[in-house]
Amino acid sequence: MLACLLACTPLAAQPPTYDIRIRDHLFEPAELTIPANTKVRLAVHNLDPTPEEFESWELNREKVILGGQTAIIFVGPLPPGEYPFFGEFNPKTAQGRLVVR
Amino acid sequence: MNSPLLDSVIVVLREVLEFSLLVSVLLVAGRCAALRARWLVPALLAGLAGAGLYGARLRQVSTWFDGVGYEVVNAGLQILVYVSIVAVIGLWVRTRHREPAPALPWVMAGAVALAVTREGSEIFLYVSAFIGRPRAVPDLLIGSVLGIGVGFSIGALLYYLLLGFQRAVTFALTVGLLALIGAGMWSQATMLLVQADWLPDSQPLWNSSGWLPEGSLLGQLLYALIGYEATPGPWQVGLYGASILLALGVAAAAARGSGMAIHSRRRPP
Repeated sequence: MLACLLACTPLAAQPPTYDIRIRDHLFEPAELTIPANTKVRLAVHNLDPTPEEFESWELNREKVILGGQTAIIFVGPLPPGEYPFFGEFNPKTAQGRLVVR
Repeated sequence: MNSPLLDSVIVVLREVLEFSLLVSVLLVAGRCAALRARWLVPALLAGLAGAGLYGARLRQVSTWFDGVGYEVVNAGLQILVYVSIVAVIGLWVRTRHREPAPALPWVMAGAVALAVTREGSEIFLYVSAFIGRPRAVPDLLIGSVLGIGVGFSIGALLYYLLLGFQRAVTFALTVGLLALIGAGMWSQATMLLVQADWLPDSQPLWNSSGWLPEGSLLGQLLYALIGYEATPGPWQVGLYGASILLALGVAAAAARGSGMAIHSRRRPP
């Protein structure tokens, strides 16, 4: 297992980073475009004082982000398409999507 | 500000469902093994304490391993739940026709305490967001009680459903469900390790969200019970399958051990 984890950890440069902010239980930007077939690093900054859970069925991602904290979430490589995500703790307002081109 | 009533029902129900189904199946196994359920309350209390501690420490934990401590610790907890479930299967099947193994209630308690720590910490964090909003607290409490109530009702339903069969059928179904719940732990752990970039991400092997969306009620129920994913990756499917085979292999080996124990006991001195 360990050998595999070491072997699978990429030695190449860090994937490109894209920033998403959570403010007043809204995602900014609510729509983010990323390149297709490329691994990217989402830096999700929770600017609210309360925790949020970044969640996406389509991306298979879920991560709790405490108030004032930044979470790193790796995404992709993905085929072109639209991938909605939402904040599980405030799903009425915290809605967004990744557009992969 | 919106009322948190409906949101809190959903958030709490999703987390509670995951451990209430595990508790039900373990209680059925315990009942088949003529084991008293005295382990359950201490296990739930230990899990709640663990959930509070983990939730309160998540800020530090999140920064571990270059910012993926959340994923790594949660995946670790889930793998430990799987290990406990496999230990339950082994001990239970091996001593099926005898006194239950003394370690059996301990590993059952361990599985539940770890699962409650993992799922409960998210409820703890969700609820902590309402500290500065006293006017929302009544709705939050009603929603949480409803979520807990529905989650445990579904668990109770599964419990009585399983006990309604003939003994041998209940036994086979319970071992099978334990293996599937354990595999669900690997499914979630794999997803978290991919998210942390500890395992490579790849295209999903299939997409069944057209006929059973993960966010639907049945999708959520199957997610909690057997780790259903609409778009699973190859690592997820591979480790899911391997973990089922290992759990069933342990069950088969334990059954052989149990059969030999009976055989040797019946042999004249």
